[in-house]
Amino acid sequence: MSLETDTPESTGIDDIDWEEIDANAVRLDPEIFYKYVSLVLLCLLWAYDYIYRDPRLSLLDVDIPLGFTTFNLELNPGNVDYLMGLTLLAMFWWVAVPLARSPEMTKQYWREFRRNKAAVASLVFLAVILVVGLIGPLIIGRPSSDFGAMHEAPVFLGGTWEYPLGTNSRGEGIFKIVIAGMRVSMQVGLIATLIVIVLASIVGTTAAFSGGWVDEVLMRFVDLLMTFPTFFLILFLVYIYGGDLFMLIVILGITGWGGVCRLVRSEALQRTEEEYIEAAEAAGATMRYIVRRHLIPNVSNTVITAATLAIPFLILTEAVLAFLGFGDPDVWSWGRIIAEGRDDLGTAWWVATIPGIFLFATVLAFNFLGDALRDAIDPRHQIR
Amino acid sequence: MNMKWYISRRVLWAVFATFIILTFTFGLLLISPNPEASAAAFSAATEGGDPEEARERVAEIRGEDRPWHEQYVDFMVSMFTLDWGNSFTYHEPVVDTILRAYPYSVALVVPPTIAAIIAGFAIGVYSSTHQYSLGDFLGTSFAFFGLSLPNFWFAIMLMMVFSVYLGWLPVRYDTSVEFWSLEHIRYLILPWFVIWTGAIASEMRYARAETLEYVNAAWTKTARAKGLDETTLTYRHIFRPALIPLITIVIGDLVGIIFATALVVEVIFTVPGLGLISYQALVRQDTPLVLVTIMIPVFIAIIGNLLQDVAYTMLDPRISYEERDA
Repeated sequence: MSLETDTPESTGIDDIDWEEIDANAVRLDPEIFYKYVSLVLLCLLWAYDYIYRDPRLSLLDVDIPLGFTTFNLELNPGNVDYLMGLTLLAMFWWVAVPLARSPEMTKQYWREFRRNKAAVASLVFLAVILVVGLIGPLIIGRPSSDFGAMHEAPVFLGGTWEYPLGTNSRGEGIFKIVIAGMRVSMQVGLIATLIVIVLASIVGTTAAFSGGWVDEVLMRFVDLLMTFPTFFLILFLVYIYGGDLFMLIVILGITGWGGVCRLVRSEALQRTEEEYIEAAEAAGATMRYIVRRHLIPNVSNTVITAATLAIPFLILTEAVLAFLGFGDPDVWSWGRIIAEGRDDLGTAWWVATIPGIFLFATVLAFNFLGDALRDAIDPRHQIR
Repeated sequence: MNMKWYISRRVLWAVFATFIILTFTFGLLLISPNPEASAAAFSAATEGGDPEEARERVAEIRGEDRPWHEQYVDFMVSMFTLDWGNSFTYHEPVVDTILRAYPYSVALVVPPTIAAIIAGFAIGVYSSTHQYSLGDFLGTSFAFFGLSLPNFWFAIMLMMVFSVYLGWLPVRYDTSVEFWSLEHIRYLILPWFVIWTGAIASEMRYARAETLEYVNAAWTKTARAKGLDETTLTYRHIFRPALIPLITIVIGDLVGIIFATALVVEVIFTVPGLGLISYQALVRQDTPLVLVTIMIPVFIAIIGNLLQDVAYTMLDPRISYEERDA
């Protein structure tokens, strides 16, 4: 046997062609292909809607026959709705698909998670809020004023089924407003969280892998961002840029990533010390492969948990801003209707009370969910 | 690195942070459309005037037609010399408006904050020393609900029950009430309660988490083994080592929460403190006043962070002066 391991033609058993593996990963994996196709389709739809369509005209306006009646489906998505679509795509590809691909792991997570009854109930509640918030307004339409039915009581206090949760001072149904508010809260919570995760991951991993002065500058910037009381920074930015929903979500996203970023950086630094990554490095794996195959799967649990626990703050901040009157005047937010109900406390207590209960329950559910996720999937917080 | 070097570095960093934040604020104001000029342009347009001219007039009055570096130097100098300009709505120096408002904010914020810190620490320590007991369960559940409760909604609910329906407490704040009087407390009790609940939940959670580390520490076991009574044990061996990180959290974390809650509470109960001033300035687009009322919490946060770090280094012999660890 001759020792020719240093010739390029060598085909030793421990010789792995990492470039080929990387290339194969991109070329052969249908998941990645579909991922990009779905992303491109969404972008094309947005571009078509944005460039060629009059914003006042609906993108889609069809009558669906349902046998006994026809249902008019009218879609006119705005920028926020496209971002929401992007967020749902991200949830599908980054959460649902990985869970479906490894059923063993999913079962184990589920066993841990199921032990927490409050969290299971929270998950169901939030799923209902999300689905009803996304689809509900399409079916029941926007709340419209009816001056013949002002301050009508909810049905359990002797009102009619036309307005199950009563009406406000302009005769707009609280039920419809609450459902419109579900949509807004979910959009704010989920989209802003996506922005937070993306920014925090990019900056955090860049800092961890670059080290040196890049790390120092980036982390000092994060320190500065975290020193700033976030609520006042948001208030100031809303004052300057206005509070339409799209802008507000962007502002919430770009002001809120500091904490998650620190977490990503410290996780990334710790993980790179671990043996499986050293082993991969020793075997000659490229940086790209290590990050994709070893780092992201091991850091993602921590990030998802931290992000879930950040959602309550985002939803509450949007509600407070809407309550103070700095929100989007075209959008029915829970905070806005609570502010309106403030003037009717003596005559129509339900106007401020009922939307507030939904807000409280939603925030509580996200807190329960985040806590349970931390116990079930976050390796840093194993329960004893 | 020794302690002096660390502290002076920390002070320099605080100054630098202030500088950066002010520069950033200036940059934002410079590049973005001025809400006030836009409003002037809009009203000119609706009244048949020239919107551009109105915009320029506002810019000229405010000195915004000069080159940006002159404006920048002016802005920084006036910020550091506390010459914060005149409020458009009150027609007086911003400093006067602030000085008139701040006693109300202090009266509103300080009592419930102290009460929340004491009660929060007490319940948190009880929770951790009686882990998994009924009391612990109730305490942690209370903290959980407190964290999720939307403050502004809670304030309105309290107002509805106690002021509107029961009529026990006044609905609106009355500035003619004597500041140092029992009557004043009747006006402040609901706002106090809202701020207290806003702050206590996080205090409890932190206190519980921090002290939990020491409940089963070796020195606690030793002390218990030699027969120390539980009260002294809890106070001296569990609470004391946790106190330093807790102080840190109080200063660092609470400033933001308290100020944000105070703003909303002042708006709801119409207490004429800094929060209400800030809110009205935002609504009426009184930029100098907006700037100052928003910068006050920011600077308090910076100074708070600085004091916290300095206190930490002086109080805790275990601290290392390494800047950061993974």
